[in-house]
Amino acid sequence: MNDTNQRLIKCFQTVFPDLSEAQIPLAQQSNTKDWDSVAAITLVNVIEEEFGIELDLDKLADLDSFDKVSAYLKAEHAIA
Amino acid sequence: MKLTEALKINQQVAADGASFAVTLACGFTPMHVKTFLTAHLLNALPGRNVVVEPGLYGNLVGTVEGTLSPDLQAIAIALEWADLDQRLGYRQTGGWSPADLTDIITNVGQMLHRLDAAIKRIRPSTKVVVSLPTLALPPVFVAPSFQASEAEMRLEQSLVNFAASIAQCSHVSIVNRQRLDEVSNRLDRLDLKAELLTGLSYKIPHADQVSAALARLICPLVPKKGLITDLDDTLWSGIVGEIGSSAVSWDLESHSQIHGLYQQLLQALAGQGVLLAIASKNNLDVAQKTLARPDVLLSPDKIFPLEVHWRPKSGSVERILKTWNIGADSVIFVDDSPMELAEVKAAHPAVECILFPKADYAAVPAFLRNLRDLFGKSRIAEEDSLRLESIRRGADFQQASEGATPDAFLEQMKASVLLDFSTAGADPRSLELVNKTNQFNLNGRRYTENDWSKELNDPSTFVVSVAYQDKFGSLGKVAVLRGKQQNGALQVASWVMSCRAFARRIEFQCLRVLFDRFHADSIIFDFEGTPKNAPLQDFFKDILSETPLVAPVGLSRQAFESKCPPLYHAVSTN
Repeated sequence: MNDTNQRLIKCFQTVFPDLSEAQIPLAQQSNTKDWDSVAAITLVNVIEEEFGIELDLDKLADLDSFDKVSAYLKAEHAIA
Repeated sequence: MKLTEALKINQQVAADGASFAVTLACGFTPMHVKTFLTAHLLNALPGRNVVVEPGLYGNLVGTVEGTLSPDLQAIAIALEWADLDQRLGYRQTGGWSPADLTDIITNVGQMLHRLDAAIKRIRPSTKVVVSLPTLALPPVFVAPSFQASEAEMRLEQSLVNFAASIAQCSHVSIVNRQRLDEVSNRLDRLDLKAELLTGLSYKIPHADQVSAALARLICPLVPKKGLITDLDDTLWSGIVGEIGSSAVSWDLESHSQIHGLYQQLLQALAGQGVLLAIASKNNLDVAQKTLARPDVLLSPDKIFPLEVHWRPKSGSVERILKTWNIGADSVIFVDDSPMELAEVKAAHPAVECILFPKADYAAVPAFLRNLRDLFGKSRIAEEDSLRLESIRRGADFQQASEGATPDAFLEQMKASVLLDFSTAGADPRSLELVNKTNQFNLNGRRYTENDWSKELNDPSTFVVSVAYQDKFGSLGKVAVLRGKQQNGALQVASWVMSCRAFARRIEFQCLRVLFDRFHADSIIFDFEGTPKNAPLQDFFKDILSETPLVAPVGLSRQAFESKCPPLYHAVSTN
């Protein structure tokens, strides 16, 4: 697993402490009961802190899984 | 604090700890303020189960009006202009035309009036902390924004009148907006995109600073009690032993005003009950001659004791602490010499050592304010003004008792104690004494106003405060007991006595009055050993002939009477 995903796992662990490290890469809004609108905003802000970037809140609804967040970071912020 | 850090702190909440319930009243989406407020409170209250519950979105005043629960420790109000009239926010488009201004001003006044009334209805055991609007007003005024228009001033006037009104209530504290401005850039507070898309008004750093300020008011730091100061180049400018007492200075003309400001502040601190002492390497007669100059801004009678000689200052601090009979962690030491500060710090790590900024004008305002903050308290009690006098009397008491047998000495003291059962529960001094006394303290437990109020709600509970005076003068209220009578046995849950009152047998008199008043055969004490309550433990060990003490401690009337020495106080109760 690359460094970006490791850091992203840390972010998910902070917001969803009940998820294990193994569960996080598979996490989606639909299979994570605590992933509501409040958690979604918190997750975005925690990722912003971790990576020192500003995420587009307009994209909030699309960032509904670990994979999509990871892909977004790589595509929009060139974080590999 | 970072958001990630706050979230991690909040995950460590002690679910089995005593509940500490706080309502958060804010009109915007509360999430980050809630997260940070919880984290700051957890840092201040380790072991408590802190639960911050937000009120209704967009209805700050309604949330405050609905605050009735007696279990609530505090309500934190993060007020913004939009809570007073939605046209003063960015989520509504109700009109910014000149014709709307009069109505906005009227509406703001009415909402503040409602909020004022709602805050005053909250029971005094619930702490109310208020952050006044932190976000800039939108461009609603006719005048250009660099001009403060009449309409804007009327809004500010309503706000200030409201703040001054609620500030009169003893359970209300207001965040200082100037201090907030220093830590949170006014231009970097509003997150308009987040506000419009999610209802989150504050940028994260601002949410943290507002929350930290609110938490600081809910859980204020314990004020320091005493300040020990150097003389040369600190209390005054110049080395008095070299240039003479008439040549040292502390005024504008001599370019030494910063020392005058320091003297002025010390005089003010003494007025609120802060103990002041001097530790200086000098000749005593020269120092006393200078302190007696008529232009000294600090009254010499406010300083006790004076440790002026050529021996190490760590020893001076040691003797001052002994005279004051307070812990090193309650004391500040101020000196212009980093070496002297280091020497004192090495011997007394708990003493906070502060460099006097004699050559740094820019640092002086922060230095003076820091001293104010370290000794800051919301109100001054009668006992605060008695503290120095009672310590002086304590020294007189020690001196007078030397050579006399204790009984012969105590008998001629003309001592009297007043045990107040009727008003002690409502007297804030009772809780203050319970929360700040370390040495003669039954269990070291601290209480919030709400905790204390809940304990007192039980009709079987009694609280008694004990005031003492003798021929040397009054010590004021020096002891507090709280307990209840159940199934014939008397249970004492709190018992504290100021260290200023030791050696007068007041503790014995307290117990005798309790045995008599409640016709009790025994008293059960909710004792717990702490690192600091050795004097209380020694008292129990002597009276019970028991080592070690086993909690809870039980004392029968028979055992008490067999160990109680003669008591000479005139006793009155109410």
